[in-house]
Amino acid sequence: MKRNLITFAIGAMLVVVFALLLFVFQVRQSEVAVVTTFGKPVATHTNAGAYFKLPWPIQKVYKFDQRIQNFEDKYSENYTRDNVTLLASVYVGWRISDPSRFLLTIRNGSMVDAQQKLEGILRSAKIAVIASNELSSLVNPDPQQLKFEEIENKIKATVQAQLATNNIGMSVEFLGFKKIGLPDSVTQTVFDRMKSERQQWISKYDSEGNAEAQKIRSAAERQAAETVAQAELQANQIRAAGEAEAAKTFTVFQQNPELANFLLRIDALQKSLNQKSTLVFDERTAPFDLFTHLPTNSPAK
Amino acid sequence: MDRNIQKNGLVNLAAAILIFIAAFAVTVFSNSLSGQAASVFLGLAVLVTFASWFQMRLEESERLERLEVEDMARVKGEAALFQSKESELFPARRAREQFEKFIVPAFAILLFILEGGGAFLLWRYVHKNTHVIAPDRAMSSLALFAIFALLLFLLGRFSVTIARLEGHRLLRPGASFLLAAAYVCFGSALAIAGVKTEFASADLWVARALCVLLALMAVEVLLTLLLEIYRPRVRGKVARPLYDSRVIGLLAQPESLFTTAAQTLDYQFGFKVSETWFFQVLKENLPLLLLAQFAVLILSTSVVFVEPGEQAVLEHFGRPSATLDSGAHFKLPWPLDRVYRYRTDQIQTFVVGYVPDAESEKANIILWSTTHAKEENFLVGNRATATVQTDNDTTSTLKAPPVSLITVSIPVQFQITDVRAWAYQNADPAAMLQNVATREVVQFLSGQDLGDVLSDARLVAAQRLQSRIQGAADDCHLGVKILFVGLQDIHPPVGVAGDYERVVGAEQQMIAKTNTAVAAAIRTNTLSGAMAFSATNVAEAFRIQRATAAAARAALFTNQIPAFEAAPSVYKQRAYFQAFADSTKNARKYILLTTNTEDVVILNLEDSIADMLNRVNVPTE
Repeated sequence: MKRNLITFAIGAMLVVVFALLLFVFQVRQSEVAVVTTFGKPVATHTNAGAYFKLPWPIQKVYKFDQRIQNFEDKYSENYTRDNVTLLASVYVGWRISDPSRFLLTIRNGSMVDAQQKLEGILRSAKIAVIASNELSSLVNPDPQQLKFEEIENKIKATVQAQLATNNIGMSVEFLGFKKIGLPDSVTQTVFDRMKSERQQWISKYDSEGNAEAQKIRSAAERQAAETVAQAELQANQIRAAGEAEAAKTFTVFQQNPELANFLLRIDALQKSLNQKSTLVFDERTAPFDLFTHLPTNSPAK
Repeated sequence: MDRNIQKNGLVNLAAAILIFIAAFAVTVFSNSLSGQAASVFLGLAVLVTFASWFQMRLEESERLERLEVEDMARVKGEAALFQSKESELFPARRAREQFEKFIVPAFAILLFILEGGGAFLLWRYVHKNTHVIAPDRAMSSLALFAIFALLLFLLGRFSVTIARLEGHRLLRPGASFLLAAAYVCFGSALAIAGVKTEFASADLWVARALCVLLALMAVEVLLTLLLEIYRPRVRGKVARPLYDSRVIGLLAQPESLFTTAAQTLDYQFGFKVSETWFFQVLKENLPLLLLAQFAVLILSTSVVFVEPGEQAVLEHFGRPSATLDSGAHFKLPWPLDRVYRYRTDQIQTFVVGYVPDAESEKANIILWSTTHAKEENFLVGNRATATVQTDNDTTSTLKAPPVSLITVSIPVQFQITDVRAWAYQNADPAAMLQNVATREVVQFLSGQDLGDVLSDARLVAAQRLQSRIQGAADDCHLGVKILFVGLQDIHPPVGVAGDYERVVGAEQQMIAKTNTAVAAAIRTNTLSGAMAFSATNVAEAFRIQRATAAAARAALFTNQIPAFEAAPSVYKQRAYFQAFADSTKNARKYILLTTNTEDVVILNLEDSIADMLNRVNVPTE
């Protein structure tokens, strides 16, 4: 009896579980559910909670994520209006805006299929918008010429318009460039140009260094010459002042010009003779005349 | 009763075929890995039920044949009857014996190949397959597998019970297989339920477990085949069919394990352990205990422990009802209430601009000219070329666009501040935040000049980027706070970094040259100053000396006048001789004493005095 009761309880529990699985479904806050009856959408549940349904194959429930989906397209090559090949990748925040339409237009409501369709539309819009702008509209240090956000908005508007035309129940919430770059071959040319710019700087610094050094040296030499010249001038003036000062004493010598001249000659004689002088005298020169007139002690003849 | 067993075998076979086809269809429909493994089991069940049914038919034919022979023997007499060969008298028995001798081992070998090969191929398929169960198909697949499990269980259980009766042994292999297949289907249903809830890998793990079970079955069949070679053949003893798997029997009827265990314990302890009250209670209440364990398992889902640094969103029938902080919380059991956890307090980080490379990051020095990660090049404006490039450049076929390239590595640290916004606004908020941050970096750099970014703009860039990323994240309702944006690693790409370093070198050399020149200028100016000072001082000394000397001479002259006037000639002579003596004191002097004034005396003043003196003719008196 006890065993039967347990068996019955387990059976009843399984029946309840199966019944719940067949007749009830849950919708999460992040989800939206579309209920179809024999394939035809009859209800859309956007609010979270538990809902009743008829068992399969009468009714079927399709659940979709109603949150914003993140999608990045491929990093693909584009051509700008000024004939530059530009690689660009765009990310998109999109969501299911009309679940019933989404279910009808996308095979099995597959997110993968939906993103494949979005990718096609997005790529077409991206190529078209980039082709109508110059590279300087995307990359430019001048804020007046930079149209980065404007280009993004144009792509978004183009994609949004196409999605609306297709009426596939999807909408784009936001869009932005994930990456922009250049193909390898163009990258190499940019590298070469950047290197040449650096080379310009190297030459500039090198020549500027030499020039500046030259300037500093010549300025210093000029200043030194000026300083020395000024000093010479001042020295001459000082000497002249000394001469002038000395000249004031000349009146004293005028008291006896003969003596003064004699003393000047004596003075000149003294200055003109120095240690290395070699003098040649004859016996008539005083005091050497003493050699000839010197008296001797020898007896007279 | 004998007719029923064959019918039972046929019903089992038909049910196995139908459920196998249905299960295979559901597997294709749901893309369930465990469903695929269950389909393989059901396929094997079809083969085994067919084999057992066929053998039942042969035994039945043999039985009818035996009855006919017995009737004939009664009518014609035994002696006449047994004059014929035995094989002629019992063709059905002969057929059954041939079947058991050749077909059953061959079938066992086929089973081994199918089980072993199936396990191997299924294992490989399970590991390579990246498909997931479509969410919208999970619930219907789950329900269907549960129905298959229920049907197989009822049929298998009934057949197993009948197979216990004497003479119905051939029903056992198929019945066990059906019962085991019921459990396998139930396991698949549970796996799909796991995928539908929080255990996304449940399907994979159940599929792996079934692969292991298949492999075990293959090993068992192999061992049975080997042992069959050495099994002693005792006439009259009924052998167990080779395709009757003990592993499957154990799986289908675990209570047989209980009996085996009881017998083992009895043997080990030497008394009837299986008759003790504990063992009996355990045996009687095993289903209840299992049910209680299941109830405890469900109840355990009513308690939630949120780890430190985490927050959890509690969903009641899918609707967020509360945000749980770290600690213990009670909730309704799964699947009524569900909990989703998020790391809210923990600071999370991602990097814009490069993919870390473990090998490169081992280096202790980070140089611009050495790759230290998988770096990406970002486009940045170039003010110089933007203006210069308007000229027609015909020198190269591939003109460089008026932009430059730069490498950045920007770590972004953030914290989840609004867990519900993080959970419910974006399907993949982490990827979205990274995209938004990358976009802000791309836009920021595209509007900057390369030179500015590498110099002064860097100082304000981090703050600007942080506020812009925060603004973009708020626009996307990500519910995060951007804590830090690092700009420690912005540099030219590796390909041109060396040239940038050389520019720095050239700039330093320029400064060095200037400094050297300044040093030389200082030296020149200092020396010139000294020379000027010296010149003026010499002149000053001259002036002083000149004036002083003049004054002194004047004073001397004033004093000399009286002396001169007193004795002019004497004074002169005296002064002359005094000056002569003083002046010529150290001078070399030649005094020529000659009477003949017309003599020419030649003195070579370059010769040394000794030689010259030797050659001079000294006059003699």
